[in-house]
Amino acid sequence: MFLLKIPIRPLFLLISAVALFLAPLSGAASAETPSEKAARILRAVDDMWRGESSRANITMKVETQNYRRSMRMEAWSKGRDFSLVRILFPLKEKGVATLKAGNEVYTYLPQTDRTIRLTSGMMMGSWMGSHFTNDDLVKESRLLEDYEAAITFDGARNGRNETDFSLIPKPTAAVVWGKIEMTVAEGLIPVVETYYDEDMKVSRTMTFKDVRVFGGRRLPALLRMTPADKPGEYTEIFYESLKFGLGLDDSFFSINSLKRESR
Amino acid sequence: MALRNLGRNKTRTGITVFSMAFAGFTMILYMSLVAGFFQTLEDNTIGLDLGEFQMHAKGYRSDPDLYKRIEDPASVIRTASERGFNASARLYGYGLAAFGNSSAGVMLRGVDLENEPKVTRISGSVMEGSWLDRADPKGVVVGKKLARTLGLKPGDELVLVSQASDGSMANDLYKVRGVLKTVGEVVDQAGFLMSDDEFRRLLVVPTGAHEVAMTRRNKDVPLDAATAEASKAFPGLEVRNWKQLQPILARMMDMMGTSVKMVIMIAYSAVGMIILNAMLMNVFERIREFGVMKALGVSPARIFLLITAEALLSAFFASVAAAGLGAPAALHYQRHGLDLEMLTTSMNVSGMALDPTLHFRLTPAALGMPIFFMFALVVVATLYPAMKAAVIRPVEALHHQ
Repeated sequence: MFLLKIPIRPLFLLISAVALFLAPLSGAASAETPSEKAARILRAVDDMWRGESSRANITMKVETQNYRRSMRMEAWSKGRDFSLVRILFPLKEKGVATLKAGNEVYTYLPQTDRTIRLTSGMMMGSWMGSHFTNDDLVKESRLLEDYEAAITFDGARNGRNETDFSLIPKPTAAVVWGKIEMTVAEGLIPVVETYYDEDMKVSRTMTFKDVRVFGGRRLPALLRMTPADKPGEYTEIFYESLKFGLGLDDSFFSINSLKRESR
Repeated sequence: MALRNLGRNKTRTGITVFSMAFAGFTMILYMSLVAGFFQTLEDNTIGLDLGEFQMHAKGYRSDPDLYKRIEDPASVIRTASERGFNASARLYGYGLAAFGNSSAGVMLRGVDLENEPKVTRISGSVMEGSWLDRADPKGVVVGKKLARTLGLKPGDELVLVSQASDGSMANDLYKVRGVLKTVGEVVDQAGFLMSDDEFRRLLVVPTGAHEVAMTRRNKDVPLDAATAEASKAFPGLEVRNWKQLQPILARMMDMMGTSVKMVIMIAYSAVGMIILNAMLMNVFERIREFGVMKALGVSPARIFLLITAEALLSAFFASVAAAGLGAPAALHYQRHGLDLEMLTTSMNVSGMALDPTLHFRLTPAALGMPIFFMFALVVVATLYPAMKAAVIRPVEALHHQ
């Protein structure tokens, strides 16, 4: 229940997603066409997932009509395929760990000392009571592969250079969005992403705020997901700390590591 | 005389009677099957799962949600009882059950163990193991197909994960106490039943209930009147009777009579041709005989009656044979059921499951209707030949070759 009807871009990828946008626009050829520019930025985004590893301390705030909760967690990621999130607080869920390895999602439940694999039926379920779904953990964000990108605005706005992208899914892409609109400010700082459903109605909005420096990179520390159909509700993710290039081994993201004590 | 005439051409009479009897026999079986089918469907749907009435908080049915609850189910049950209803509160939630390497989405139901048996027979329809017990809060009862999907049997331990009403992750270990028989599509496929206390603890729902199911204590009160009564008694709730909850089933039941009659008509129209043909042949073969009778002063009306009487006598023999064979056969399947397991593992009709074993039901209508229609048909089919014989002119008839 409480299904977010539509999957969003991956939460875990967001952990390092912010990093992508840091890639400087250096070497941009002056003769670049808008579509080439869009492709270059998106490709840079895609390429940056690979080999990248990160570790983050995150607080998540969920505000819904029925409850309000605040959680602390630590998260690791490696490339596109691996991510691991472990809950530190509240006490009731301390030690609950979610592992994404390839297309599978596993959850470790310390209370019962069991690890379960999430099946398709559970994928649309809310992740930890937030506005993110389990599916968000699995779906990969390959904007360039799945979407036809166009630049709809490129220039000075709000006292800085901003670029608006309009991403329309390719006919063959297995995505649920009708369209994604994205604004990226200079320095590849994402500002806002608006997700449209297949009827081209706004489904949810992700805003990026509070740009800080993490590991020498400037990126927004605060991500807020607002579902369009539930006024007043949102999920906020705040990066307390974020480190890159940890050289994590693939075995770090194994089912066995789910149980490991937080470090 | 009619009887004697019938005896004259044994083959012709035999074929006519046999075809009538066979049609009657088939129809008796068919009608018993249909009656049994719908009876089972109704019993299962109402008696195992739905109850005759259900009440929900406003808006729950269109968009079920853990938070849309009937606030004080205890007082609702009390009031319902005063108005002549047995009532039981239910809680619903969704989760994931994992056993070994497989997992499946489940529908959690918190059961009021004291009141549920007054409303449905679900506590008695456990296939393996036993029903819920308050003394064993971690013992759960699961649906038949869910048990098959996950490979569960009583005694197995499984993990349940869900989201509690405060947004936190609800998870715990449960032991399968029992596996249900076929109850209904949803319960079969996803039913995960536990005591209401345990449900409240797991999903952090201290008060309220999502559904109150009710049945009439006095079945003579018409369903609609009882629905109106309940709606008046609970103005803040959505009250629905089973016909409103399962409109397709209700409509099917209403249409059953009509469709059965149509099938009988179609089957009998074929038999009607045979009878018509047999009687016509009969008249033509005996045209001289009728001519002689006419010449001897027998009135057309008497000849008409004679032929009709012959036909009705055939129908009578056929009825006796049809009922004599059909009724015991239907009763046999009523008692033992017709096992369709080889054809299908389970059937479901718009979400209501049926056992693959079909129990027939020999109702008065199932026995009476085919026989009544047989007589009606014989009268109609004999009309033309009998008239023909009646109006025959003796001179022409005697010259007839």
